[in-house]
Amino acid sequence: MSGFVKAGLAVLVLAGVPFFLGDYHNDVYRKLLLWVTLALGYNFLFGVCGQVAFSHFAFYGIGAYSIVILLFQLHLPLPLAALCGVGLCVLFALAVAIPSTRLEGFYLALATLALGQLFVVVLNEGGEVTGGTSGLANYRLPEVLGLSLRGPAYTGVIVLLLVFTFVVLARLDRSWFGRACRAVRDNPEAAAAMGIDVARTRVTAFTLTSALAGVAGMVYAFVDNTVNPPIFGIENAFLLLFMVIVGGAGRHAGAVIGAALLFLLPFWLAPLVGQHHVLVFGLLVVAAILFKPSGLVGIYDSVRARS
Amino acid sequence: MKRWLAVGLLALCATAAQAQETIKIGVITDRVGVSKPYSEPATDGLIFGADEINRKGGVLGRKIELLVEDDQSRPDISAALARKLIDQGAVFIVSISLTQATQQQQTVTMEAKTPQMTPMNSGDTLTTQLPNPYFWQTGPLGSIQIATLLAHARSKNLKQVALITDNSDLGQLLGRFFKAGLEKSGIQVVADEVVARGATTAMPQMQKIRAARPQAMFMAGVLTAENVLIFKAYRELGLKFPIHSSYNLSVPVYMTVAKGLIDGVTFVDAYDPEKPEVKQFEAAYRKATGKTPYNLNGYGYDGIMMVAEAIRRAGSTDKEKIRAAMQSLTYAGVMGAKGMKYHFPEGKRTGFDPNGMVVRVYEGDRQGRVVHVGQK
Amino acid sequence: MQDFLELAVSAAASGCVYGLVALAYLLVLRPTGIINFAVGEWAMIGAFAGYVLLTRFEWPYPLGMALAAALLALVGWLTERLTVRPLVERGAPVIAPILALLGMLVVFRETISLVFPPDPLPVPYPFGLGRLELGPLAGSYQSFFILAVTLAVFAAAWLFFERTVAGRAFEAVSLNRRAAALMGINLSRVTALSFAGGGAVASIAGLLVAPNVSAHYLMGVPLAIQGFTALVIGGVGRVEGALLGGVVLALAEQLTVRYAPIPSGYAQGVPLVLLMLFLMVRPGGLLKARA
Repeated sequence: MSGFVKAGLAVLVLAGVPFFLGDYHNDVYRKLLLWVTLALGYNFLFGVCGQVAFSHFAFYGIGAYSIVILLFQLHLPLPLAALCGVGLCVLFALAVAIPSTRLEGFYLALATLALGQLFVVVLNEGGEVTGGTSGLANYRLPEVLGLSLRGPAYTGVIVLLLVFTFVVLARLDRSWFGRACRAVRDNPEAAAAMGIDVARTRVTAFTLTSALAGVAGMVYAFVDNTVNPPIFGIENAFLLLFMVIVGGAGRHAGAVIGAALLFLLPFWLAPLVGQHHVLVFGLLVVAAILFKPSGLVGIYDSVRARS
Repeated sequence: MKRWLAVGLLALCATAAQAQETIKIGVITDRVGVSKPYSEPATDGLIFGADEINRKGGVLGRKIELLVEDDQSRPDISAALARKLIDQGAVFIVSISLTQATQQQQTVTMEAKTPQMTPMNSGDTLTTQLPNPYFWQTGPLGSIQIATLLAHARSKNLKQVALITDNSDLGQLLGRFFKAGLEKSGIQVVADEVVARGATTAMPQMQKIRAARPQAMFMAGVLTAENVLIFKAYRELGLKFPIHSSYNLSVPVYMTVAKGLIDGVTFVDAYDPEKPEVKQFEAAYRKATGKTPYNLNGYGYDGIMMVAEAIRRAGSTDKEKIRAAMQSLTYAGVMGAKGMKYHFPEGKRTGFDPNGMVVRVYEGDRQGRVVHVGQK
Repeated sequence: MQDFLELAVSAAASGCVYGLVALAYLLVLRPTGIINFAVGEWAMIGAFAGYVLLTRFEWPYPLGMALAAALLALVGWLTERLTVRPLVERGAPVIAPILALLGMLVVFRETISLVFPPDPLPVPYPFGLGRLELGPLAGSYQSFFILAVTLAVFAAAWLFFERTVAGRAFEAVSLNRRAAALMGINLSRVTALSFAGGGAVASIAGLLVAPNVSAHYLMGVPLAIQGFTALVIGGVGRVEGALLGGVVLALAEQLTVRYAPIPSGYAQGVPLVLLMLFLMVRPGGLLKARA
């Protein structure tokens, strides 16, 4: 089956599901799809390119807030606002990526952690523009081509985003760019010796994945029709890291499995163990790393290898 | 033969009684995150109230069933849980969590036309940001708090004051409304400082405040540890101007962690220990749980009582009838000054009476007497 | 000027706490290359130990402090044994134990959150709330106590690394693990000791800051971030760097709030911006390692 057909089928199946789900499950499903999208991007950045960044959620937030501000404060028409939103995300990503190229490992982690915190400070102090600590609410997605996208139909938009992200990243992964990223991750000096522009590779990877996170943010803004600072806090960045690790860093399937499991886990655990669910969560993450560092995807691999 | 008939009849009655469904009321609270210190006691008070209601026969002859969910102070999870509760048949949702979580739940309850109330959140923007006719807020608003504090301080003829708060969501919101209230009264805010969560000292902020020479300092923060830092720096710098605080200082924890630091501090409270309803509440709570309650439990208790009362007046579990009943509700609860009634006049959805707060003062380390009531 | 000197003492005290947390990172980082983000939670457990021993049981201060440090040394050792050693022995990349420790951060915090009530709990001052004036410098008794204890801990750490055989073993391991192992140094013992030492130092940090901020379950993550920032500023090459980094960070934070002509809300962002700039310009830290 050609990639196109596969992608098309995936869209149909994933977008068809919400029509069979109730309101609550639909809501969880949508947020799950968004987290999977973010995890795919983060997996590429962290697993394939080896960059430890905690700024993913800041870009998610930049995307979300910008589309709301562009649409409802600057009153731009939707297509223009969407384009400007994407442009803003790319610009911010570049602005962060270019100086960050010289930062290794945990220096990059610290710088992006500071960035994530700074973003929340800006949101809180943003006064009228960002709505301060209360955020922005009381808006609705304007009609697209005369269609009012609500409920399960909007989930279709999220599915398109997810499949688009997956296809882009999977393609890149298999291309020379993916190989270059891996080379830079494993041994930057050797990669440079082979003629790979290390800095440019890093910047491109960071900018691309951060911009994708921003686009996901733009889609998120209309899920609950609210954006506020706690949604984009740095604790989420740690959760994203856990998802990719538990699922299996470097593998797309790993990001999907990890995101699905860790996002849904609190919903399953809370009724079972009450307020201990975060503790159980922490223990599960530690256990996952101890017993299967290659992640859940590694389990699948070893099962397949044995058969 | 007769015996079988009797057994059969009994069985029929039993099933009929079981078929009488419970009234489901959803509660979204935070059990593990940043709101836990406030959500936990309020939820305890609510659960106690629900038990009390059920012991007295329930509502409309049916028992209340609480569906409690933990949103970890994460607003997007909070919204999903609101949908879950609605799907499970909750006729009313009580929100006892972060301000933004309550806010995000509103997008759901507005769409699903389900009544929602918050008994404790005091951010003024909750009822103004979204035109949600199904949402009510009975917590004491920041604007009421500052107005009450100012009414008490009127005799002092304040012209220049300092304002200090923290960077939490509610602290910022209260700070905003405190500033607005102060400026509206013609008082100049000569210093406006913020202590960040996780700070190890408030010395630089207090030095800055000292340099501005205020006549008094208003505290709008709600984070205990950070407020204690403010008191410590105040004391270390040998400052003498009076301190007036938001309702956060009414939480009893300050009597243990701020020993020796809060003598003379005035604060607004919605809890008058001399009120007969309060004494009744305390006695019943102590009897049922063995613990002495305090004001945070009272918010949750009042919340569930009002929800039950609204359902009773509606005469059914139809959400529209409950909405109408809630909007026209008047209720005298545990919280509030003597004689205060919660009510929602002129279609407004904030229920705490503007004159319903009291100003109390710390005497030594104990929460002392009421020195002022209301806004007059 | 009076303000500045007072602030200097206050910033020095805060800086010492950050420096101790940075030292806790350093003790683990040097021989193993592992960044232990759970040190903030260790400091928090130290604060809670202080609450239990000093406030509830009212033990004499030195005894309580010593026991808290011993307890955290044990916690550190256990953490290494149970969550780090299996990974190291399996030859997992260094990121694996770092992530396992991030998971342990959650476990530690939740355990405390479930055992103790959610409100902050008081931890006593060893010398009460008085004020001391040493010439032009003035500050609280606690600030000077923090300075004294921190200097003692850093002196001990410095002596350990420079003058003792065990300390030199640490150095050797941090320079070249394989060579050190070949020279007969017991790698697992060094690692276990480093975690135990990190735990003890973190608990002292927690105990020193707790009388001011109270013991509460959310205090770990901010301390971990501030300590890590201090470490990066000071540089990982030298023990003194941790203390220097802590003091520089605290001074930047507090001087900004006091003197910068920007609204207070934005003042929180300034240390973050400074940190990001610092990382661009001098990621190696202020103090370079000795050759």
